[in-house]
Amino acid sequence: MLWLYLHFPHLLLDHIRRSRENPGALAVVEGSGQKVIQACPQARAQGVRAGMRLKTAISLAPELGMVRADHQQEARILEDQARWLYRYAAHIVLVPPDGLLAEVGSLQRLYGGLQAVWQTVEQGLNERQLNAWIGIGHTPLAARLIARTGKGECTADKGHILRALGQMCLLAAEFEDKTRARLQRIGLNTLGEVLALPSNELARRLSPETLAYVQKIQGNRADPKTPWHPPHYFHQQIDFAQEVEQSQGLLFSLQRTLSELEEDLCWRQQDTDSLLLVLQHRHEEPTRLRVRTSGPEHRSETFLNLIRLRLEQQPLRAPVISLVLSVRRFLGREAGAGRDLLGETQDLNEAWHTLISRLQARLGEAALQQLSPQADHRPERAWSASEVLRRPGTRLPDYTQLPRRPLWLLKGPQPLTAAPSRWFSGPERISGGWWDGQRVHRDYYIAQLESGQLAWVFRDVRDGWFVHGWFG
Amino acid sequence: MSEILNTLMQDARVWQGHQHIRTNQPAEPTGYQALDNQLGGVGWPRGALSECLLDAPGIGELQLLLPLMQRMSHSGKTVFWVNPPHTPYAPAFAREGVNLDQVILINTEDEGDLLWTLENCLRSPVTGLVMVWPGKLAAREIRRLQLAAEAGSNVCVLFRERRYAEQNSPAALRLELAPGDHQDLSVNVLKRRGSWPGQCCSLAMHHRADLAFQEAPRVVQGPWSGRAG
Repeated sequence: MLWLYLHFPHLLLDHIRRSRENPGALAVVEGSGQKVIQACPQARAQGVRAGMRLKTAISLAPELGMVRADHQQEARILEDQARWLYRYAAHIVLVPPDGLLAEVGSLQRLYGGLQAVWQTVEQGLNERQLNAWIGIGHTPLAARLIARTGKGECTADKGHILRALGQMCLLAAEFEDKTRARLQRIGLNTLGEVLALPSNELARRLSPETLAYVQKIQGNRADPKTPWHPPHYFHQQIDFAQEVEQSQGLLFSLQRTLSELEEDLCWRQQDTDSLLLVLQHRHEEPTRLRVRTSGPEHRSETFLNLIRLRLEQQPLRAPVISLVLSVRRFLGREAGAGRDLLGETQDLNEAWHTLISRLQARLGEAALQQLSPQADHRPERAWSASEVLRRPGTRLPDYTQLPRRPLWLLKGPQPLTAAPSRWFSGPERISGGWWDGQRVHRDYYIAQLESGQLAWVFRDVRDGWFVHGWFG
Repeated sequence: MSEILNTLMQDARVWQGHQHIRTNQPAEPTGYQALDNQLGGVGWPRGALSECLLDAPGIGELQLLLPLMQRMSHSGKTVFWVNPPHTPYAPAFAREGVNLDQVILINTEDEGDLLWTLENCLRSPVTGLVMVWPGKLAAREIRRLQLAAEAGSNVCVLFRERRYAEQNSPAALRLELAPGDHQDLSVNVLKRRGSWPGQCCSLAMHHRADLAFQEAPRVVQGPWSGRAG
């Protein structure tokens, strides 16, 4: 087994920096807001260092953007990274707060060598604008220690790895403080010297736990790790250092997240038809936007256009401090049917979905309706309108047995104001609805009004005369 | 030079007095031979607006478009109804053989949305027919729709009130509809491309209510005659 460890020295900082439009100096401050924990390169160039008091930092860099450290948030960001790494490696272990472990021994053949695995991961990190130190070791602990020193090398040679470990000082080897002090008192300075001690002596003089730790580094003792499995949904949060007041600012950072969604969907070979966008405000209830496409979709551009339409229709209520994009509904991807080999003819199915999604995004889903006949004798209940959901098939039931009806139905019966000039047919008695309380008892006639309109009129049980439809 | 002139003549882009020329502009047959004859033998122009001007619904105006709706919905094209004044009655259309899966009803709230919707529908390749009840429209806006219809090469029919007949409009075809004496529909061509306007024809529409064509309709006597109204 060969392990690859990714150590993210400032994950939170990277996470916030990459969703910012203007790259300015940025620092992560401790929960109490007194100390700087992490500083970005720009901030470091201005003299801000980790461990510095916040007041000093602000006087050095007045424009410093500040983000409060939050462990839950860090854990979530780490999980985001695990989801991304899962595309390349199957066996992943989360090492909170800032590490990821992946088993790469079994991947060498797939990628064509360890070098290729390393490069793939490195390239992915660059694309995601993340800083990580990579280390490879024959045990999980060895990989972790090597990565955290920042001197990781791309080698599968056990001797080489042990040599690298041997040169490590005791502080870097992450012994407990008490153990380290005792080892130093014995006169040991590097990990190599500790590893060289006979194991029974180590257990007797120090403690069995220390022995176990050393053996786990060496690989003489099993160090089982439970693999992490990605949840079956997409969830990403964008946190803003400064509150965003314009929807344009949201769209900018959404662009990145949506392209990550597209990539994610592409790796799973899935599509989705609904996105949930939650905008968090400082003093108000979060705004929830559900963006739906009328058919399966995976392209970030389409999602972005729909969200842009929605945001144009619905301006921001309050400045946004963070934004969550989540997708829980996944659909299997189907190959576009109506496409020819050279891709010259347009895919009508796709064009239909694009058009309907666009219309729904701007007008609201209820503005578009599809009609269908219903089995009921009462004219106002013999039809129904439903939301447009998906492109229909071409199968048609036989409706030729239906009775003759007017093409226009009035939204409600209108009183007949003048006697019709001509009567044509009738009466057709329609009586029903005793079963649900919407009783209808009417005699229908076809008549022509003075204006020349052909009307469907009825007389109800109380002798009132009404127009119910036009033969348009 | 003469070549250019000839093409201009053949495309009917130049009016030549009383000569009636069959235009070779793309068009969809109306399904009514009498009307097709009046429209240069072709029918509803594609990639252009048509206007139907009428006073009140119920004179056979939907029946006029029914053959086109049937054809479009069965060839997989979508038929859009935008802001209709009443509900298109689904059982009646199903009975007439319109594929209701391809019919989409759109209601817009304001004029900006309406124009945006129409432009999007008209430019899309999936659209077969767009039927609009636009209310008030400025000539400039009709022109905008005309361009969108040209881009998508779709049929778009505007239903407007008859009083707009006197106003100028960029629509390619303008028909004035009025009820006839025998439940028929009299169509007066106010404007069309490639010829003089002014043709009239009357289309039999009595089948829309299964009325047998009869001079004196048989009145069913009953208790209602005195009380109606």
